[in-house]
Order: sequence, then C-alpha cells, then structure tokens
Amino acid sequence: MSKFNVLKHEIVPEHHLVPVDDEMSVLKKLNITKDNLPKISINDPTIKALEEIHGKLDPGRIIKIIRKSPTAGYYEYYRVIVKSVI
Amino acid sequence: MKALLWKDTKANIEKIIQNAPCYYGIDYIPGKNVSSGYITTDKSNFEYEVKISSIEEFKKSDKVLLKKKTGLKAIIKIENVRKIDKIPLSDFKLNENLNEIKTFAEGERFVVDYKEKDEASLSNEQKEVMDDAESRGYHIPLSLADKLIKYKKSLPEDKYEKLLKRIDSELKKREIDPYEAVGIIAAQSIGEPGTQMTMRTFHFAGVVEMNVTLGLPRLIEIVDARRIPSTPSMTIYLNDEYKHNEEKVRGLIKNLENTAIIDVADIITDVGEMDLTIKLDKLKSNERLVTLTDILSALEKIKGIIYNQMDDERILVKLQQESFKKLYQTQEQLKSTPIKGVNKISRAIARLDPKEGAWVIYTQGSNLKDVLNMEGVDATRTYTNDIIEVENVLGVEAARNAIYREAENTLSEQGLNVDKRHLMLVSDMMTFSGAVRAVGRQGISGRKSSVLARAAFEITSKHLLKAGLLGEIDPLAGVAENIIVGQPVTLGTGAIDLVYKGNKK
Repeated sequence: MSKFNVLKHEIVPEHHLVPVDDEMSVLKKLNITKDNLPKISINDPTIKALEEIHGKLDPGRIIKIIRKSPTAGYYEYYRVIVKSVI
Repeated sequence: MKALLWKDTKANIEKIIQNAPCYYGIDYIPGKNVSSGYITTDKSNFEYEVKISSIEEFKKSDKVLLKKKTGLKAIIKIENVRKIDKIPLSDFKLNENLNEIKTFAEGERFVVDYKEKDEASLSNEQKEVMDDAESRGYHIPLSLADKLIKYKKSLPEDKYEKLLKRIDSELKKREIDPYEAVGIIAAQSIGEPGTQMTMRTFHFAGVVEMNVTLGLPRLIEIVDARRIPSTPSMTIYLNDEYKHNEEKVRGLIKNLENTAIIDVADIITDVGEMDLTIKLDKLKSNERLVTLTDILSALEKIKGIIYNQMDDERILVKLQQESFKKLYQTQEQLKSTPIKGVNKISRAIARLDPKEGAWVIYTQGSNLKDVLNMEGVDATRTYTNDIIEVENVLGVEAARNAIYREAENTLSEQGLNVDKRHLMLVSDMMTFSGAVRAVGRQGISGRKSSVLARAAFEITSKHLLKAGLLGEIDPLAGVAENIIVGQPVTLGTGAIDLVYKGNKK
C-alpha cells in the first residue's frame, strides 16, 4: 500500500516552496535576514513530502506555510530549512 | 510554469516507467520553459506526472524510446514518472480552447490561491452581509457572518447598526499595541485559571471507559513537551466504506489491539525436562479471536527453538541449545511475542459518535505511523494526543497545531476561557526552532540569548560562570536584564530610542 502523504492531513497546514528569485522580496517584506526566520528541519516529514514534488531541497531554502488562524482567517508564515534543529 | 500535456498508449507509459530516467522521442516541439508533463490515456483525465529536464531536437539514436515510428520532431529527457490521483483537463489553463487532448498541448496547472478560498467558501447571503458591514465602515471577521445574517433579519435597523458598532469597538479594544509585553500577559492569563484548575482536578478522575489525563497534570505535560505522555490515546476516523459497517469496524479493532502470547495463554516452564509449554486460555483467546494456529505462526519468527503442537490447546517448546539461562530468556521472549495487532496499542473501543453520525475508534496507546497506513482508516483526520509523535510523523507545523489544540481542549474542558491568542503564542514559541521544545529550563527559558535573563531564571551560578569563561556579551535587549542593571525596560515608552542630531553650523 502506498505511503500516506502527510501534506493531506487536516492538521498539517499548506506548505509551499518559495522560489529562489522571490526569497529576497520575502525577507525585505519582513525586514529580517534569513537566520532570523523560524526554522524547519531538513528531515521534517513535510519537507520530505515537498521533495517528492520539487526534487532534493537544500538547507537555506524558504518554505511558505499558510496557516489557518482561529481568530484571523488565513495568514502566511515562513520557515527556513536547516540541517539540524535543537 | 508551463507543462506538456499529451495522450499516450498504456504500452508506451509502461515502457517509460520501466526505463526512467530515459530519453523519449515525440512528434511535437514543446516550448523552451517546459519542465513537467502530464500523460493521459483517455484524453481527459491525467494519471501520470513526469519531470522533464531537457528538450532537444530529434536525431536517431539507440538509447531513445520512440512514441511513434515516423514523424518524430523532438527528444525530451524524462527524469521520473509518478502515478497521481486523476486530474481533469479543466484544471489546466491551455493555450487554445480544447475539450480533449488528441495528441499534444501545452498548459499551465491551475492552482487555487489560498486567499480566494476564504472568499469562495462564502455563500451569497454571507457575502452580502459582509459587504454591507464593510460599506458602513465596520471591519467584521468572516467567522461572524452566519450570526450576522440571523441578527440582520430579527433586529430592527437601528439596533443592528448598534450591534455592528459594538463588535467593531470590541475588536479594536483587543488589539495589541506595538511593544506590548505579550509574553508576560500570556503567562499571567494562562497561569491564573491554572490555579483554579488544581483544586477542581481531584474530583474529575476520567472518562467511564478509558482513562485520559485531564486538567493541570495534562497542561503541565503539554508545556513540558514530554516524550511519552502518561495516557497516549488516538482518535481513529474511518473512511466511507467502514464507518457505517459495524462488522468491518469490529474486524479493524481486532487488528488494532496488540495481543501478545501472555494475553491469551499461560507459559509453563519445566526445569527438569528443560522445556516450556504454552497452554491456551480458552476464555481469553475467544474474546480476542486468537486461535492456536495464530500462535504457531507467531512462533515461526523466533530463532533457536523447536516447537510442536501436543493437542488442540498446548504447544511444547524445546530449546536447540539447552541451558538454564537460555531457558529463562526464551520464556521472557515468548511472553512478549506479538501475535497480532499494532505495536503499542493496548486497547481499542468503537463508539457511535453522535456528532459524526458514524463509528469512531478510540484507542489506549498510540502508534500514528502504522495506523495511518492501515486500510479503512481515514488518514486525513486520524489524530493522536501524543504531541512528540505528531511532530515525528506529520512535522513541526502539525505539532504546533497539536499543542494549540490540546491546550485549548484541556482548558475548555474545565470550563476556563483563555484567549486563544495566548495559547497560539505559547505553541509558536515552543516550535519556532523547528523542533518541539519545553517551556522550562531545558527549553525556551534555558536557551535565551541573554546571559542575565538565563541567570535570573534558574541555576544562576552555572550560567554566569560559563558566560565569564566564554566572554559572552549581553546587549541588554530584554526585560529581565534591564531590571537587573536598573534601566528602563525595552517595552512601551522604554522601547523608543531618541537620537538628537545637533544643528551643524
């Protein structure tokens, strides 16, 4: 039986890969540098699922997450892929 | 991004799948920026997705797979092929209007933007009310749309206007100013109701059928990010085929519950003869639907033993190498040998959920990874209360949602109303580093960047000594460190730096 795609689970919000060209505009909008972004491990199951679509992802790529807030509709959240997390 | 769409025969697709990555000759010249493709067999639904890495002009070669024998124009390199859930043609924006794909076409996959989703899910009636409120100058959250429709019909015009005004002003009141100390407000707002919880928990032991930790102990468990919660449990939703079929649900439960040999049989050790006897307990085994054959097949996996069936309820187990130590080890090993079921799940109960109108399975013990891949399970909704397990199986974002959900449920079960935003702040803080961290010494507080803030929290001397050895610098950006040195804190008024540039004359 095929393995379940974690991105389809109701508790997992939408994950999108930010194209390299758009990274600068994202960081400029937030007025921060890349290492100030929240992190996500390269071994995270959602990253593995994204790799099925986009091919191998390197640390340093930015992931856009579209969260559903209980109070404020949908909003964007960004995480940067890192090699290891604490 | 443009994608190449084409119709192909099953035989050709089979060939591509077997040979991928491969070169494929086609009778069409695709555009330059094409990097993916979709293949259909019935002209309207796409079943295969391919990744295209390069497009070249056609020339004869042995390595190239051919779509047709004549009239070939280009070679595409196919990196990989994947079978996907069927996508209809209407999902693509095409160059020309087509009802079906005869041979080739180019198009863009049409993906719905998330912002449209919220709007699109509104009914006309809801939209009308929201637009009406907007035109009067009030900003009302979409979640209130249904209630507004009801009130607009029942209330007179002036009272309705008053209601909108009230909602708007209440919302404005709850806005946070820049540099407000949200963390401390959150800590107080969760802490104060927490004190009331302690007193109430003693009378609230659990649910009738299954024991689940609730109240303050559970809340502490959540913020401490325990590796193993004291009562892990799962809520398993079922797919359409299973959820109304009681017989199938019962079968699934039998496959879920983990049964070891010791649960259905007695193991008798004979030291004199150096052998073990497994004696099946009829009552227990009938309850769990286990037969002697199930045990025999489970024994097959154990090495170093010789076993044979004595009668219809006893199995004699002998050792290949006889020694007392080995005998004892084998006995222990036999006890825990699983016969059937999912590892770690000790009990499962099905209940006809009134909200759902269908069967839902609740379990004691949790194993999300295995259960998600079981047949009959609705994998998109099945859920466990073990946050660390959610993190490992579904990722850090799911863990963040799980922390929020669990904390919210624990508090609301006790009848406590804590503003949702406080819980969201806590769950964001626990997961921003990419892994779930506890709130205490090992987690958030213990890893603050400021030395003085860490020293003010716990184990003062260790932090100060380490900082002195390493020559750490404290920029005095937080609250605790500024109080220690006797400066205004960087909140409210203190957050603003004034720089005076004198007149240069």
